[in-house]
Order: sequence, then C-alpha cells, then structure tokens
Amino acid sequence: MPIVVAPENTVLKIIKILVDEKTKRHLENLGILVNASITVLARNDGNVIVKIKDGRLALNKDTALKIFVA
Amino acid sequence: MKFALAGNPNCGKTTLFNSLTGATAHVGNWPGVTVDKREGIYKKLEEKVSIIDLPGIYSLSPYTPEEVVSRNFILDEKPDCIINVVDATNLERNLYLTTQVLEIDVPVVIALNMMDALRSSGSKIKVVDIEKAFGVRCVEISALKNQGLDELMKVAYSEARRPRRGMSVLANSRISRVIEETTNKLNEEKIESPLFHAIKLIENDEIEIKMHPEIAKGVEELKTKEPKDEFGGDYEAIVADQRYKYISEHFANTVIKSQDDSGVTKSDKIDKVLTHRIWGIPIFLAIMFIVFHLTFSEDLLFLNGIFGLEIKNEGFINFLTGMGAEFDEETGAIIPLAGIPSLGVFLQNWMGWLTGAIIDLFRGFMPEGTWYTGLVCDGILTGLDSIFSFLPQIILLFLFISILEDSGYMARVAFIMDRAFRKFGLSGKAFIPLLMGFGCSVPAMMGAKTLEDEKERDMTIRLTPFFSCGAKAPTWAMLAVAVAGSFLGDIFVFSIYLLGIVVAIIAAIIMKAFSKNYDVPPFIMELPSYHAPQFRNLMAHLWDKAKHFVVKASTIITAAIILIWFLSSFSWAFWEGLVDDIDESILASLGKVLQYFFWPLGWAQGAEGWKFSVATITGLIAKEDVVATMAQLGLCDEAGETISFALSNSRIYAFAAYNLFTFPCFAAIATAKSESSKKAFPITLAFWFFGSYVISLFVFLIGLTFEVAWWVGLIVVLVLAGAVVLAGLLVSKRKKLQQA
Repeated sequence: MPIVVAPENTVLKIIKILVDEKTKRHLENLGILVNASITVLARNDGNVIVKIKDGRLALNKDTALKIFVA
Repeated sequence: MKFALAGNPNCGKTTLFNSLTGATAHVGNWPGVTVDKREGIYKKLEEKVSIIDLPGIYSLSPYTPEEVVSRNFILDEKPDCIINVVDATNLERNLYLTTQVLEIDVPVVIALNMMDALRSSGSKIKVVDIEKAFGVRCVEISALKNQGLDELMKVAYSEARRPRRGMSVLANSRISRVIEETTNKLNEEKIESPLFHAIKLIENDEIEIKMHPEIAKGVEELKTKEPKDEFGGDYEAIVADQRYKYISEHFANTVIKSQDDSGVTKSDKIDKVLTHRIWGIPIFLAIMFIVFHLTFSEDLLFLNGIFGLEIKNEGFINFLTGMGAEFDEETGAIIPLAGIPSLGVFLQNWMGWLTGAIIDLFRGFMPEGTWYTGLVCDGILTGLDSIFSFLPQIILLFLFISILEDSGYMARVAFIMDRAFRKFGLSGKAFIPLLMGFGCSVPAMMGAKTLEDEKERDMTIRLTPFFSCGAKAPTWAMLAVAVAGSFLGDIFVFSIYLLGIVVAIIAAIIMKAFSKNYDVPPFIMELPSYHAPQFRNLMAHLWDKAKHFVVKASTIITAAIILIWFLSSFSWAFWEGLVDDIDESILASLGKVLQYFFWPLGWAQGAEGWKFSVATITGLIAKEDVVATMAQLGLCDEAGETISFALSNSRIYAFAAYNLFTFPCFAAIATAKSESSKKAFPITLAFWFFGSYVISLFVFLIGLTFEVAWWVGLIVVLVLAGAVVLAGLLVSKRKKLQQA
C-alpha cells in the first residue's frame, strides 16, 4: 500500500518507489530505499512525517503516494 | 594547512566552525542554513590552520546547487584533511556520506558530534567499531558544549600529514569486479582519487559522465555483463543499497541504546500538536501575530482597547515608557497613555530620546546658518536619526525570528505551509527564504539555493522583495502617521504587509499559469529535533544584524545622504552658495523631470510631488533612504513622527504600494542576478519595474473610488476580485483540459 494510507507507529518495509530518477536518488541518499524499514509518525492531510533510520523526514502527499510499503 | 568540515545538513558543522574559529556565522536548526562555503582560522595548533565550513550534503552526488559547492571544494581544492562531522543521534544515515568521503584519496577524521544529546538520552557509542571498519580516527565531540574540540584538531593535524588512499565499503560487494576494472582504467589516465570517480561513474552521476564520457561508455558495457537482480540494473539503487547494507551489518550494535528508549521522542510528541492537520496553521499565525504585536503595538495585549486601561503619562512612568510627556495646553492636565506600549515601542522611544539628545548637542555647539552646520545637522544627523530610531524594533523582530529558527520550528512551518503553497506553484521549502525576506532580501535570495528546481528558485527570488524587508519598515511607520487621522496606524502597516503577501500569491499563480512543463517539485525535508535556543547563538545573530545595520548606515546610507544634501542645497550655479528655497536646487530640477513619469500614480502630483519621486529613487541605494530623504526634504521630521505634507489616503497607499513592489535595493538586485538563472533575471527586472507601476496605479484608482463614497469603492473592489477569481478558474480549467 502507499505510505499515505499506512498505519501510524508501525514498523513497515519499503517494497517499491515509483518517483522520477532525480527524486529517487535524493530519497536513496536519505535512506529511503527498497527493503529499508520506515515508520509513519504523523499525517497531515496526506503529507506525512516518517521515521527512517533515526531521522525524521517530512514528505508531501504526491511523493508519499509513490512509496509503497508492506 | 586547510581542513574542510563536511557532513549532513543540520549536523552541527557551522556550530563547530564558530567554536573553532570564534566566528559568528548564522546557525539555525533546520537543514540548509549554510548555502555557501566560508573560511576561518584555528590558532591553537603549532601552525595556523584554515577551517572551511561547507554546506550540508547527504551525498556527494548533488541534488541542490549548494551541494555542488561542497562537492567541488572537496574534489578541486584538495583540503589537507576532511573532518567529517557526523550526528551521533542519527548515526546510520550520517555514515552513508562517510562511506563516500572515504573513497577519496584524502586524510579523513570523523567527528562524532552531538554526543551530549546522545549521552543525556542514556545511550553510548562504541567508537572502536567505526575506527576498525573504516580505518580512520574517530573523535567524540559536542560542538555546542565545546567538548572534545582540541583533541579533534590535534588528531586531524597529525592525520593530515599522513597521506591516505581511498577505501570503499563496496570492495567486497557483488559489483566489486566493475569497480575494480573502472578504477584501473581511471588509474591509467592518471586521474586523482580513481576509486571515488569509478564508483560515481557506475552510479551514473551526471557530472562524472560529462567529465569522462569515454570511460562512461566502457562502464555501460561492463554493466551489461553483470547478472540482473531485484534492482533491474538500476546501479544507483544498487550502490545505495550496498552502502546501507554495509552500515547496518557493521554498525547495528554500535549505538547502545538505553532500556527505556521507546522510539517516540519528546520532539515527536511536540510535533503531534504543532504539525496538527487542523491546528498547525492557526498556531503558526497566532505565534506570528504575537511576535508582531510585541514588536510594534502601542497597546500591549489590547489592555486599553478591551479593558480600558489607562496610565498617567507623568514622572517615572513617562521616563519608563519613553513616550514623552503630553500635557493638555488649555487645562494643564496630563494626558493618559493609551495602554502600555509593547517592548518594541519602549525601545524605539528610548532610542529616539538618545538620538534626539545627540542632535541637540551638535546644534548647540555649531554656529547657525553655515553650510557645515547644514551638512552635519540637517543632512547627516537628520537622515541617520530617521533610520536609527527604528533599529530597536528591527533587532527585536530578528530576535523572535531567531528563536523560532533555532528551536527547529521553522522546518515544521515549511511542512505545514507546503499544502497551501503547492496551490500557488511553490513548495513549502520556498517558505523559509520568503519568510527571511521580512528581515532582508539579500540572505533570503541566497537561501533560495536550497530549492532544487530552477524555476521555483527564480520565482522565489522574484517574489522575495514583496515580503516587506526590515529596511522598508521605517517608511510604513512614517506613512502610518500620515494616515493615522482617518484610521489606526498599526492596521495600516499590517495591511501593507498583507498586500505584499496577497500580491505575491497572485503573482505566483500567474507565473505558474504561464510557465510550461512546470510541476511543483516534491517536498522532502528533514525535521530536526527541537531544542532550546542557545543564548550565545541568539546574541551572535543579533550582534551580526546590528553590526550590518550600523556599517550600512555609516557608509552607503551616509554617502547617499550627503549626496542628497548637496543636490538639495545647491543650484546648478553651485558657486553662488546655498540656495534659499529648495525649489531652486539641482535635486528639484531633476525631481521635476521624474515627476512626469510618476504623475499618473497620484502621489507625484502637486508642488511636493518631486520630493516623493526623488525619495523612491534614493530607496534604490538602501530602502532606509526613502525616509531619510523625505526627512531631508522636509516632508517629515527626523524621527518620522511629524508629517508636513498633505496627501489623501489613496495617494499615500499608492506611494506605499509603489515602494513595496518596485526594485529592491542595489545589494538585493545584485544578489538576485547572481542567484537566478541567466534567462530569468531580465524578466525579473521587468517584472519589478512594470509590476510596481501597475499595482500603484491600481491602488490609486481604486482609492479614488473609495473617496467618492465607501460603497462605490467596495463595489469596485468586489467586481475586480470576482474577475480575478474567474480568470484564475478559467486558466486552471484550460490547463487541466490541455493535460487531459
């Protein structure tokens, strides 16, 4: 499911990232890559705050819709 | 010797830089404060060492322009040692960059920063693990608390004298064969740091492929011989994945977390409130209102307006508030103050007393009627006083904004504003530079470097001057006095700020509609942990601001004032001495030509219109010069508190609008030129030039309809607003149709 609708405060695994090349590279540098663990901490109308490694990242809705987790 | 500080954004590089060099560079708690490299000297070693602070980077493959600065420095300028600053509270993510830095043939020392925060949460780090795996020295420090810095520098100094070969954590991975062959090829060409360049080539790094197009082709061939896997030949992803895998395998148990670490921090709990879906924006607006209220209000907490509180303006109270005693001449009664002034107004009044006393002192000493008394008292001192009386309020406003920055709240504001900004064609990231625009356009435009999209950057730079900068504030405050007869002065000032924001939004929507293939870039931003603002840091920031202001006032503004004084005191036949009537001066004859150009805007009409025209032009030198010039030309007194011109409100509004939207000062124009793309800059200049003229004209014409009768004006405004909304809907509908 896309991370927009994923449950909060649950450790999830990233299975697919469907964004353009440049954004994807940036996400990878930040630790968002396939097989990594991710936790949704808060949600603001589709925009999300996630915990990845020990950092907090804010993502807008369009980006969050393209990151699939299980 | 030359040491470079490299590391992730917001990991404390600049704090470390300030501690090492005694500099007062701006530190803020959000990613991307440092947008250009800066240099300082560390003196505690045997020889002086220059320290270079680089913008934060997540990777050596750049995403935004300021990241290019860091990469180029590390590769081209060859520092003697790279001090890789690592945020110990987010170790794995920070070590990702480290794995790339290690591939370069340069001595590296890892500075494990924020150890104080880590320790206070009860955690520990096994430093040996990192040193053993990477083969470089690793020192625990706290840049904020000044711990471990001397040891770090000693270690770096000794490491700098031992050459180091690049090493890669990918050496034993499944792409090791491709890496090895590419490295060999680069080696044959005698390229420095072959390992680093080889891996960047394999990652399809754009800059790298441009540099070595031949070898890049060879790499593609090598790749085709490799077996396909889950990443489907996406080598960027493979390399990133391998790096993170290495880090997790080697350092999973390096941080020993305390037992009671639940994973949800205090910051997360605060964020639940401050980034709330419904309350986030109202909380932000309330905070900003309080900031403006504490700085500009003459009726603190509306104690007078709501509760009718009045205090007598006499004796000690009068001394305390600095409002100046007011007596009713006829009855001899003491007039009560309309409520308690805010801190900003207190400070402003005291400043007014001080500068007033200085001018009186000079006047007492100098003979009356000579040209040099005119230059010093009526020229320089009058002009400077009109500017300095607003310094306390500007500093106070900056203090509040620094507190918000330093706590980490600004990054959250960018997040909650993203949804709204997206509709106007900007991402939430653009919010921070624009907000900085309320202080000064120059750092604000430089801050636009953190935006990764060129079009968004150009748009942001173009809109920055509409966020009324601190130097424009004196103009509004002075005009507020002129309109105060008809309605409240602070509502006038507030409406000017609001007008700027509203026009910026409309302009952004228009630009979005006219630019093809423009998608608002994604919003991806790291949110730092909240922390209490550091006193030392706040004071350094304010000191910088005050220093900048004083330097500007004593150089460029004084020069402008002297020029204006000369032009307004002499006629073209300047050998004949001072003119008796300013209307005969050189300035008047120049201004009267300008007056024709500004005539349609209302405020330039009439006998004194040329003075307003001249004031807007001197504003190009520095925006403070608008008031300074008006004071010199006798349109207001030196403190900007008494007005001696009569313009209708519509003309005053049109004058304010013109000054708000026209060209910013020369310093900001130069910054806009260097920060925006070549194509965009001429458009930006035209946009400021025509935009300000048209808006000022509109404001004047609409104002005239209000002067006929308030309801006529209201109808006109509503009809215009309706037309704008309708046009907006039509454009967006057409865009959607085109896309479909």
